[in-house]
Amino acid sequence: MKYLYVGATEEADPEATRTIQECLETTFRMPVRSLKLPSVDFTYDPQRKQYASAAVLELVARECPPDAIKVIGVTSRDLFIPVLTFVFGLAQLSGRAGVVSIARLRQEFYGLPPNPEVLLSRARKEALHEAGHTFGLVHCANAACAMSLSTGIQQIDRKGAAFCPVCTARLPKDRLI
Amino acid sequence: MKTQWRLLVVDDEEIMRESLAAWLREDGYIVDTASGGREAVELTRQCEYAIHFVDLKMPGGMDGIETMIEIRRLRPEACLIIITAYATVDTAITAIKEGAQEYIVKPCNPEEISMLVSRIIKVKNLQRENTILRKKLTRQYRFQDIISKNAKMHAILELAQEVASLRSTVLIQGESGTGKELVARAIHNCGERANKPFVAMSCAALAETLLESELFGYEKGAFTGAAAQKRGKFEMADGGTIFLDEIGDISAKLQVDLLRVLQDRSFYRLGGTEEVRVDCRVVAATHVDLRQAAADGRFREDLFYRLNVIEIRIPPLRERTDDIPLLAQYFVERFSHELNKDISGLSDSALKMLMDHPWPGNVRELENAVERAMVTCRNHELTEVDFAFLIRPGVRQTVTFNLQEMEKATIIAAIEKAGGNIKETASMLGIDRSTLYEKIKKYEIPR
Repeated sequence: MKYLYVGATEEADPEATRTIQECLETTFRMPVRSLKLPSVDFTYDPQRKQYASAAVLELVARECPPDAIKVIGVTSRDLFIPVLTFVFGLAQLSGRAGVVSIARLRQEFYGLPPNPEVLLSRARKEALHEAGHTFGLVHCANAACAMSLSTGIQQIDRKGAAFCPVCTARLPKDRLI
Repeated sequence: MKTQWRLLVVDDEEIMRESLAAWLREDGYIVDTASGGREAVELTRQCEYAIHFVDLKMPGGMDGIETMIEIRRLRPEACLIIITAYATVDTAITAIKEGAQEYIVKPCNPEEISMLVSRIIKVKNLQRENTILRKKLTRQYRFQDIISKNAKMHAILELAQEVASLRSTVLIQGESGTGKELVARAIHNCGERANKPFVAMSCAALAETLLESELFGYEKGAFTGAAAQKRGKFEMADGGTIFLDEIGDISAKLQVDLLRVLQDRSFYRLGGTEEVRVDCRVVAATHVDLRQAAADGRFREDLFYRLNVIEIRIPPLRERTDDIPLLAQYFVERFSHELNKDISGLSDSALKMLMDHPWPGNVRELENAVERAMVTCRNHELTEVDFAFLIRPGVRQTVTFNLQEMEKATIIAAIEKAGGNIKETASMLGIDRSTLYEKIKKYEIPR
């Protein structure tokens, strides 16, 4: 039996992690297990005051249990890749690992009062998005699809927490929603 | 058309190039990486990239600007984006002067780079569409447009390319649908007569007298209905090339007339007394074995030798099966665009089916088969089910002796014949419906 894993770092929001777990279980119709990930502090870049997402992704892939079909890491750290100012997440396309950062999904990041509902909704969409990449899905032109590219928080809020029919059809047959 | 564009990321720092490559791959692009200028130039030599992302500062010989200059020398139309962490006005000016489309300072906002890439790709898509449409409109095919990786075909194309600049008559022999006219057009377009007319005439399509008047033209009053003088195809092709397709089908009288044109480069219009001189290259084509026809006395031997100065024999598709995947993929891409379908390729089983098919109608038949399959396909890949129409009852299509494969192919063909009606299919196969459902499930036959 193979499982989908949701791996949380120590500082990751437990509520968001649980929501992501439920969302992946419902969407992919397969059992989801939780996993404790080691600290990602070693990926900290003092100049940018952010965490290197490629190194975090490498860590998630390294921690992937043998019975895992995929593992999605969840962290509250703000992630970046060198050429970009930030990323909401990163995944191995058609690989086994993906990572989602909660940092920029919080309303507080934009100077707004906290809103747990909004945070969980965004977390679900981003987790689905990164999981989709691990299943080989690329960005979708349908703005309502979870696989549409989000370069800003508004785009995340605009899209839904589900795959469009085209992306659903592209998922491996045994992973149909 | 959903073309999968290929991008190149050039950066000496692994983390830089790999992270950008991974981010771009999520957008559906094929991304190659190079750790230095020399490697980038070598990759550019081998592949055509839609965008080159080049880091400005790279140690070890070639920096970003030098790399960019070398890439542009190889591919003048290349689209280059310079990336740097050390932005100065001077480097930006140098980069733009040397032909960089954009100059981005890292780290940059994801939205900025995403918009930049999509803007360039949009232009690339329009450029490609424009090229396809223009080629389609003018039918200005060149040898590069003939798709083949077959060694025999390459030798033929090399010969054709060599003779393109000559004035000699060319005889192209090959079965129907092998692309004789395409080769003829390529010979014309690659020769010195490229800017002059290319006039194609199918000799099999018209009756003798009509063909005669079409080829040589007529004078006013030459026959009932000849209200005005008309120029023939030979005159129209003056300075250029006349392509006489299906030359083996012309009558004995026309053979004599044609021989005279080839010998003297002159002729008389029907009902005319004035000699018309023309300078046109003759490229003839036929699906029949003209040498044999001449030996049998069905075709004038002297005309055969006049036509057969340079002989090009195009092999049938069944003799170059290695071209089938390449051609099929080309047609998929072309029809994806024309039919506005999101189909990226063919499954292994579909490809095997195409490889096993005898293709009596050659490339034209393959083209039509792919188009038909794409019209009915509902997935993103053509499978053997989409090509079920190729299986004809009573004709052995495959060389497989695997019972399960044969059973699967038979069920697919029966479903196709019954128009998807399961009851009818089961009755046709002589099994009950539940057995048929079991087999459909077992062989994963989509309905």
